Amino acid sequence: MGVLLIPRLTLTLTIISLFIFLSRSSSQEILINNAERRIDLSTHIVKVFFTLKVENIGTNAVSEILLAFPPTQADHLAFVEALATTGKRKKKTYVPLVVKPTELPDAPNETKYFSISLVNPLNSGDTTTLEVLYVFTHSLEPFPMEISQSESQLVYYRDSALILSPYHIKQQTTFIKTPTTKVESFTRLDPTNRAGTEMKYGPYEDQPPYSYSPIIVHCENNNPFAVVEELVREVEISHWGSIQITEHYKLVHAGARHKGIFSRVEYQSRPSFSGVSSFKHLLARLPPRVHSVYYRDEIGNISSSHLRTDSQKSDLEIEPRYPLFGGWKATFIIGYGVPLQDFLFESPDGRRYLNFTFGCPLAESVVDKLTIKVVLPEGSKDPSAVVTFPVEQHLETKYSYLDVVGRTVVVLEKKNVVPMHNTVFQVYYTFNPIFMLAEPLMLTSVFFLFFVACVAYLHIDLSIRK
Amino acid sequence: MAPKPITSPVPDAWYPTLSVFMLSIGLLLTASFFIYEATSSRQNRSLAKELITGAVASVFLGFGSLFLLLASGVYV
Repeated sequence: MGVLLIPRLTLTLTIISLFIFLSRSSSQEILINNAERRIDLSTHIVKVFFTLKVENIGTNAVSEILLAFPPTQADHLAFVEALATTGKRKKKTYVPLVVKPTELPDAPNETKYFSISLVNPLNSGDTTTLEVLYVFTHSLEPFPMEISQSESQLVYYRDSALILSPYHIKQQTTFIKTPTTKVESFTRLDPTNRAGTEMKYGPYEDQPPYSYSPIIVHCENNNPFAVVEELVREVEISHWGSIQITEHYKLVHAGARHKGIFSRVEYQSRPSFSGVSSFKHLLARLPPRVHSVYYRDEIGNISSSHLRTDSQKSDLEIEPRYPLFGGWKATFIIGYGVPLQDFLFESPDGRRYLNFTFGCPLAESVVDKLTIKVVLPEGSKDPSAVVTFPVEQHLETKYSYLDVVGRTVVVLEKKNVVPMHNTVFQVYYTFNPIFMLAEPLMLTSVFFLFFVACVAYLHIDLSIRK
Repeated sequence: MAPKPITSPVPDAWYPTLSVFMLSIGLLLTASFFIYEATSSRQNRSLAKELITGAVASVFLGFGSLFLLLASGVYV
């Protein structure tokens, strides 16, 4: 049934996409011998593992390989990573490669490109194997859009059976892994097979550049669609021994919207049938040695949370005040402190730097807009942030306890953040340790002024009588 | 070369003890300051002694209250 529901837009896109563009010279120089794509639909974050064997059939050396994405997918693309593999079998080693978005003047149908820069240029006749991982968010469209409490959630996934590429592909196969064996419908493009939770499209032989054939997979997905619409993480550094982190969450269930009434009795008595697409637990992975952890919202403390700590990590299991069904939202705050020496270091050039994890601590969640505010101690100068992927940066000033001139705040903003972005970033700044004495001297001078006032009062004769 | 971690100049575990001791010394000095002010007459009161007692008391009270803030979790 899902086959009939292909939107007209994709159909027209297909027809136009089937044009072959031979104008680009580099397209002719590169041939993809074998491409294998594994699409993992088991959570709401779509992960695509893409292996391609590239051969240079031109005469000149090539240093860049292009990846092409249709514009609808490019908007939801959160993360691209490419690795070059060398060696065989057990001696395989992976070298990370630089991937950056590029523009091509003759891009058909607003195709978006990413270029992978090879470490060593590929000489004429040489082959290399690339492993690419890319991640899409908000790519599973719930259908039906509204479900009641007892229904299971079904989603559409749209893609192409043929890999969109500016190069000629000799042989290609696409595997799609569905979360359960329940698949309502899927587009066939022979040879197509389905066994258990896996669908196989292909192998397709000798596809010209920019081949595209839209497919729709309609399958069950009851995994928590936990989307944080907005996350503000504030990291406040104190040189007196602690780093305080406050995280403001606006969480939403981004799956099929809830329809009708919510029955708590049914939800609690038949958990395997009722509210299968909803979720009530979330796991936040915090750094080891956390202290003073709290979980609250505007009303006050939320008591349904558990903290387990070991030497490697701390797991904070939180339960919102109510189970989240499709379209329901929850707002809450998580705060904790970590020891200073675990995250603040001195670089060889004398500057200090904070080494902290980017991204969202909640497991398997998408953040639409992430803001990290690093509040540096008062008196810090020349702040600069080092992040491995592009982020928006600006500076702010914040006033906290015992501040005179205000603290410098480095604000990092990024949209569409997935768990793959949980890598470390650094914020460098210079700080003269003498500024640490500012706070105690401020308190001391207040007390001293009080004593001076007492002395002055007792030395002045305020009596009216002579 | 491994990066050198930056630690607090005073270990965290000492904050409660330090705040108790420094605040009690500071309050004792404050008490002696006011006892001196109240008991000595205006003529034989020495300004230097008053200011020195006040300064020492305020140093103890200032650092003591800072450590009290830190011990109670307000990291300034």
